[in-house]
Amino acid sequence: MNEDFNENVVSLLQRLLPLISSIVLLLLAYLPVNVAAFNNMRPDLGLACIYFWVLHRPDLFNLTSIVVLGIVDMVISSALPGASLLAYLTMYVLLYNTQKFFNAKPFVVIWYGFIALSLATLIVKWLVVSIYYSTFLPLSMLMFCYLIGVAVYPLVSAVLAFVQNKFIQDEAL
Amino acid sequence: MKRRRSLFLHLNQLKLLAKKFALVILFLAAIILMLLNKNHSLVLERTSGSATGAAAAVVEVLVIPAKILARGYDYLAELKEIKKDNKILQEENRKLRVLQDKYKALEVENRLLSELLNYVPLPEVGFVSARVVAEESNAFAHAVLAYVADANVAKGDIVIADSGVVGRVDKIADKYAKIILITDINSKIPVMIEKTRVRGILTGDNTPMPKLIFVPLDAEINVGDRVVTSGVSGVFPAGLPVGQVVAVSKNEIKVKPFVALEQLEYVRIVKYGLDGLIQTQESDTK
Repeated sequence: MNEDFNENVVSLLQRLLPLISSIVLLLLAYLPVNVAAFNNMRPDLGLACIYFWVLHRPDLFNLTSIVVLGIVDMVISSALPGASLLAYLTMYVLLYNTQKFFNAKPFVVIWYGFIALSLATLIVKWLVVSIYYSTFLPLSMLMFCYLIGVAVYPLVSAVLAFVQNKFIQDEAL
Repeated sequence: MKRRRSLFLHLNQLKLLAKKFALVILFLAAIILMLLNKNHSLVLERTSGSATGAAAAVVEVLVIPAKILARGYDYLAELKEIKKDNKILQEENRKLRVLQDKYKALEVENRLLSELLNYVPLPEVGFVSARVVAEESNAFAHAVLAYVADANVAKGDIVIADSGVVGRVDKIADKYAKIILITDINSKIPVMIEKTRVRGILTGDNTPMPKLIFVPLDAEINVGDRVVTSGVSGVFPAGLPVGQVVAVSKNEIKVKPFVALEQLEYVRIVKYGLDGLIQTQESDTK
């Protein structure tokens, strides 16, 4: 009885691990760093997490996880409420329809995929928020955020791959 | 048997349809959230307020290891400079004592003259120092989250740092305050050029340098002019230093804030007791 309970808890935690790791990474991007250059170059780690998990473990990272991640970002951020959720859903839709091109491909191909999809997603978000404020938001800042996001993707991917290989066992699920 | 099978097929189709619609519904929900924000919905503000409190607490826990490392490094670096700093501080202290005496004399003189003129003084200023626990600076928002504990802080309170205006409190979330910086797209501050008293509005555009708008066409504004709050609208008192004009072109005037907004560690949330224009929906309905 006790063993069953423990097994269930472990299994549940393993199922939630992609979401938990994504939330932790998402919040890390908000840490104060007192470095002027870094402060204006904060990547959108949520997009990288969604890309990684939907591509590698779509069974553990579904639409609900994306909504939760979008809500977490919405409550911590001062940006327009709903804009992050919209961006994450866009990433999900784009990835869902192009997944077959990246499955079982070398890392470089997957990275190229992230380069293309994150750009499309950020442009959609930029357009929606620009329409809301009736003014074009600074593209330079968006591009900074995008390029840094692309640059750190291998690192994010390595961290999440470590989490996946170390803590998520298929037979327990 | 056939009926059961067709019912099963229908159910499956419905499930698939619901799955497809889920995405559409979620997209619509995201758009509705944006529109609700335009109406300054009280429900949205309250819900997000309490949720932000919980999320900010997690960020604060995450920040601990990074802070310990940074403090350790700073401590070692400061040890070298401590003797030199001590000498400078002693000299500064001596000068400040002289200034303090002058200030006291001026204060008395000012009080006497104010009494003669029947001058109505500004309300008493109260302030709270708050530690910054989270920062955000990108194309979509420029804001910080500060820990205010149980201090009496309200939406619209002014936030300043050692060298000038930082922004204003946008939301109170449990023990945290969401502060929008003067560089944020939602920030609009009535300001004036200190020397010429030309008035305008300093508006953020999510870049590190906000711009000056609604300035008279014939106004003479030069690079290097100091920008201070004008006190118009009654949210910010007049004379608080904001920034310096760094670029003047036909289309826009750019201002560089005096405060290094990207390196905020502590801020002061000040209550000037002014009845400004910022009102919540709650106060509107009262």
